[in-house]
Amino acid sequence: MTKEEIGDWALHAYVDNEMSSEQRDEIEALLRTDFEMAQKVESWQRQRGQLKQAFEGVLDEPIPPSLRATLRTGGTMAARPYLAMAAALALLLLGGLAGWFMNLETAPSQVANIARDAIAAHEVYAVEVRHPVEVSGADKEHLQAWLSKRVGTPFTVPDLSAEGYTLLGGRLLAAGEQPAAQLMYEDATRNRVTIFLTSQPEDEETALHVEQKGKLIACYWRNGKLAFAVAGEMELDPMMKLAKVIYEQFES
Amino acid sequence: MDFRSQLAAELPPLRRFARALTGDAALADDLVQDCVERALNKGHLYDPSRPLRAWLYAVLRNLYISGLRRNGRSTIVKNVDDLMDGEDAVPPEQENRMAVTSVTDALDRLSPQHREVIVLVAIEDMSYRDVAEILGVPLGTVMSRLSRAREHLRQLLEDRGHTGLRRVK
Repeated sequence: MTKEEIGDWALHAYVDNEMSSEQRDEIEALLRTDFEMAQKVESWQRQRGQLKQAFEGVLDEPIPPSLRATLRTGGTMAARPYLAMAAALALLLLGGLAGWFMNLETAPSQVANIARDAIAAHEVYAVEVRHPVEVSGADKEHLQAWLSKRVGTPFTVPDLSAEGYTLLGGRLLAAGEQPAAQLMYEDATRNRVTIFLTSQPEDEETALHVEQKGKLIACYWRNGKLAFAVAGEMELDPMMKLAKVIYEQFES
Repeated sequence: MDFRSQLAAELPPLRRFARALTGDAALADDLVQDCVERALNKGHLYDPSRPLRAWLYAVLRNLYISGLRRNGRSTIVKNVDDLMDGEDAVPPEQENRMAVTSVTDALDRLSPQHREVIVLVAIEDMSYRDVAEILGVPLGTVMSRLSRAREHLRQLLEDRGHTGLRRVK
């Protein structure tokens, strides 16, 4: 990203009202002195105005009768569990993972291994009372530095406290021939979830996939240089939500 | 307010979004129809902590894209990663050289990726964050697409009136 682009982005954010009032003041001060910038901003504002005006009329159009009828009587499709599940997947994807939607139909086989590894590792370690982790979550920075180094890709240990999970810690494992990290979290009811991470040779993005084994469920995906799986004993919906939170933390 | 009434209140902006996204009134109405149907069937999956409007836009936009894909036009909805760079989808030589007559005409000439971003931001006043969620792309992608969309739109609109001169040469 060039210097000029960064400057432009601030101007876009200004035009689109994405700024705090202090930031706005700063930009406005700049605009008073920089004619070129001021012109740019004005042309974008004009564009906004033109676009808005062009479609304003639609807001005042009467709602077509067929649409009103759908609104009154629609939504009678019988609920079928597998459809609900597919819809849950699709809709959760819409809420932030929509880019993966496109990939949803592709074969999950190339990432399925990580789900099996994650489930196996979860089964082994999540039941441990005294030694669930190698390095405690109390020393998060060390844990993060160590596992990043061993896995080969720097990453930040996700914070799931908003979801009610505290970090217990993590350990180093093997996934096939390469190192993998397992991070373990626990909620107030002592229910544990684990995140399983390995590096992948090439940047690749896949859809979110789900694998289930008995009561255990794992969501897994690839993003950038890492392959991820989240495993735990819970319903699909909360698991998908958790996966989404984790995905977003790695995205930002 | 129950879900149906909330939905009813969102219909005018939803129709505007569909119109601007597709540039086609009939197609837009079909999409809104499908979108409402789907929202009613899957409404229990809507997360009420998020704005309903953004959810509806995401549903409609996905219906639009799957429609395009069904019609074999999948090349124009490339995968997210293809779009991070070099995404000026219309090479100059393929660009329609006819004069741009209006802002809607100019909007139609943007690539779908650019159009949807600028429609959501400039016409629907969605925050960058909501746009990123609706489109399922990182915030940085939203901003770079927006920047390119604006630049392309500006060129198209400024070329208005100069097109004749250019054709002479």
